Amino acid sequence: MEDNEILEIWKSYDKKLEDSLVLNRKNTEEITRLKVQSFLASMKPIKIFTILVGIIWVGFVDILIINLFNVANPIFLISAGIQVLLTKLAIGIYLYQLILLHQPDISEPIIATQEKLARLKSSTLWVARLLFLQLPVWTTFYWNVSMLENGNIWLYTFQIIVTASFTFLAIWLFYNIKTENRNKKWFRLIFNGKEWNPVIKSMELLSQVNEYRNG
Amino acid sequence: MLLDRNAVTFLEVIESHKGIIYKIANSYCKNEENRKDLIQEIIYQLWLSFDKYDEKYKLTTWMYRIALNVSISFYRKEYRRDEINQPVPDEILYLHNENYSGESQSEVEQLYRFIKELKEIDKAVIFLYLEGNSQQEMSMILGLSVTNIATKVSRIKQQLKQKFTNLKT
Repeated sequence: MEDNEILEIWKSYDKKLEDSLVLNRKNTEEITRLKVQSFLASMKPIKIFTILVGIIWVGFVDILIINLFNVANPIFLISAGIQVLLTKLAIGIYLYQLILLHQPDISEPIIATQEKLARLKSSTLWVARLLFLQLPVWTTFYWNVSMLENGNIWLYTFQIIVTASFTFLAIWLFYNIKTENRNKKWFRLIFNGKEWNPVIKSMELLSQVNEYRNG
Repeated sequence: MLLDRNAVTFLEVIESHKGIIYKIANSYCKNEENRKDLIQEIIYQLWLSFDKYDEKYKLTTWMYRIALNVSISFYRKEYRRDEINQPVPDEILYLHNENYSGESQSEVEQLYRFIKELKEIDKAVIFLYLEGNSQQEMSMILGLSVTNIATKVSRIKQQLKQKFTNLKT
């Protein structure tokens, strides 16, 4: 097949389409009366809701830490401190996304716009990485001095195995949850479900954009 | 000449370029329902951007950019208008005679099928090429260098030709 043949096929259809395509003007007019909502505006409410819930949680834990600082056991304070710090970082990412929501302009060139949109969506993955990094502190916050002083070898062994496994898993996931691994089985298993489809798709688009950028 | 930014002019613009919207939606959607949704979304986004249209660019450049950006991002359902709060009419663009016959029609269907199998950005590139845009115009729409575009177009055309060849053997 020659180059021209593909063009000819397209043009032949074009002609027929021109003769047969009808625009329903009444229905199109109705679109111009719809309430104005920008391309990304519908993403805002869920982001704002998540940030508010996050701030309430962080505020609650911060107050707890401050009020219990002199009486609580240090392991609880350290665990809660790490958890709340990682949650603050996650809130920071959501705030960054809220700012990014205003940047893409869909009347701009395609590669640049798609890059902005895909980066915005795939940055959600950072939140997942930070949340996984919190795993170990959920296995330590209930420790206290009495447990350390009066525990037996089985309790120590069990705790060490559990905390070490969660720490290893958290660090491994933090480093390995990235675009390059999006097609691996374990990745698909973690990010399985409709809500993650746009994020996975964004990563694929980002890799297409990079291919184009690199020629 | 300056363009009036009102609904009447907008309808004229859509009427004159309805083929672009229909063909892009057809290239990006595998089923009819999605195609209808995408057509509505493209027209809605064109309307929202109509006020901001910069007349230093051709009208078609502006349309291609928006229609392709919306189509490539169409998988992000949450980006779409809340259809319950803002119901939109069913049919906006339709064919009054869809029963074409003969070899050329089946070749068109094959070509569309092959285009639908391409990656999202490759689809945009080959679509703009098939529409007869110059490499300069494609560069303005895509935001890529002319050289880069020439290489990509050639690679995608090869892919399409290979698919047609495989079909015949």
